[in-house]
Amino acid sequence: MPMYGDLGNKLVQHAKRTQNLSHLPPYQTELVRAVAREIRDLDKDVASLLEPFQGSFDPSAEQATACTLLVNHLSMRRNKRCLLAYHRIRTDKLEELVWNGADILDLAGQTTGGPKGVTEGNEGGGTTSSLSPQEEDYFRQFGDLLALYKGQWTDIDLTGSLEPPRDLFIDVRVLKDAGEIQTEYGAINLTKNSQFYVRQGDVERLIVQGYLQKLG
Amino acid sequence: MDIDDILREVDPVSHQIPQETRDLQDLTRAWVAERSTPELLPWPSNGLFERINDKIKRQIEKVEEMTGDMDPKTNFALIVIQTELERFKYLVRSFLRTRIAKIDKHLLHYISNDNLRTRMSQIEEAYARRHQLLLHNHYLNSFLGTFPPAMQNLNDTAGNISMIDSPDLDSAVFIRLLRDAEIECHGVDVDGVLTGKEGDIVILRWSDAKGLVEKGDAELV
Repeated sequence: MPMYGDLGNKLVQHAKRTQNLSHLPPYQTELVRAVAREIRDLDKDVASLLEPFQGSFDPSAEQATACTLLVNHLSMRRNKRCLLAYHRIRTDKLEELVWNGADILDLAGQTTGGPKGVTEGNEGGGTTSSLSPQEEDYFRQFGDLLALYKGQWTDIDLTGSLEPPRDLFIDVRVLKDAGEIQTEYGAINLTKNSQFYVRQGDVERLIVQGYLQKLG
Repeated sequence: MDIDDILREVDPVSHQIPQETRDLQDLTRAWVAERSTPELLPWPSNGLFERINDKIKRQIEKVEEMTGDMDPKTNFALIVIQTELERFKYLVRSFLRTRIAKIDKHLLHYISNDNLRTRMSQIEEAYARRHQLLLHNHYLNSFLGTFPPAMQNLNDTAGNISMIDSPDLDSAVFIRLLRDAEIECHGVDVDGVLTGKEGDIVILRWSDAKGLVEKGDAELV
């Protein structure tokens, strides 16, 4: 027989699993709804239990009812925390993606490339995204927020590399054609499999985006 | 800083420490401290970042000016300046990112306490408030909105469990003593008092180290 909190537990397990994954698994719409429903049901139970007392409930006189109420209250709060934890872990992941410069389109593409989902040409369906619509909104809004914050520190490039810089110039190999880039020493044409000795600051973004690989 | 400044630094004749060097030392110290403590430290309010920002701006302009010059001598100076510039930027970036990561992790904790709020710079505070608002809206839209009204808060403390997460102030830090001091430490089983000498390096809980660091008896390493 299912018990209070079973569903919440499932959500937490999902959250735990999400922590160790590099991608974001599909949003558990049904589970989230079920846990929220359980809270509403419990709240109704509490209300109907208290109704006959008309606001003059005495816990020491009605110990059995008091106990039921307590269990209901705790279950509701626990469910709430489960929901919060699940959503926070996902938003943390989303924020990380925003910091790394991911695009919302990349995220949509990610699920179609999954193990079973070779569902190309399905863009119109909108069912393939592993984000809930609310999460997509959040992703965009956080992107705006970050852009705003970054705008205060334009000279620093906050999303730049967090590795301490050792050399001004580095060797890179081109993994994907990236076209021509402008540097202070002239234009470089980045064609696949070629190798260059360039200024790290000029190609940082391309390394993050996976066009270039840093050597040595 | 320009190449002449660098040369002047290694020159043993001029001994006084210029403001710019002190700024770099302060920045490095602030960065090390911020990275090793579990909680957010107060934003340096002595105009350090305004000065450093100005300097970075000036150096960028200088680099742009010098880039056109094909003289090998300027070219060498250019590389030195650019390398220095990259390092400066790294320090500032890493410092700011460390702070933002701490703020993000315990948003409500920092926003809802006046004392803690003053530790953030204005920009950081604006960011934190906005971020919290986004999160709250996201929760409301995803599930919180369907809850009974009494349960829609994010800061209740019912049942003696605070919903606001806070950093673990008891996690360990390393400090170096800058002068002799008595160190009071709280352990799991016993508490103790240690007489420390200048230069000693000690590992202890941040909650015990905090007082020493604030008094200037010790610095974080």
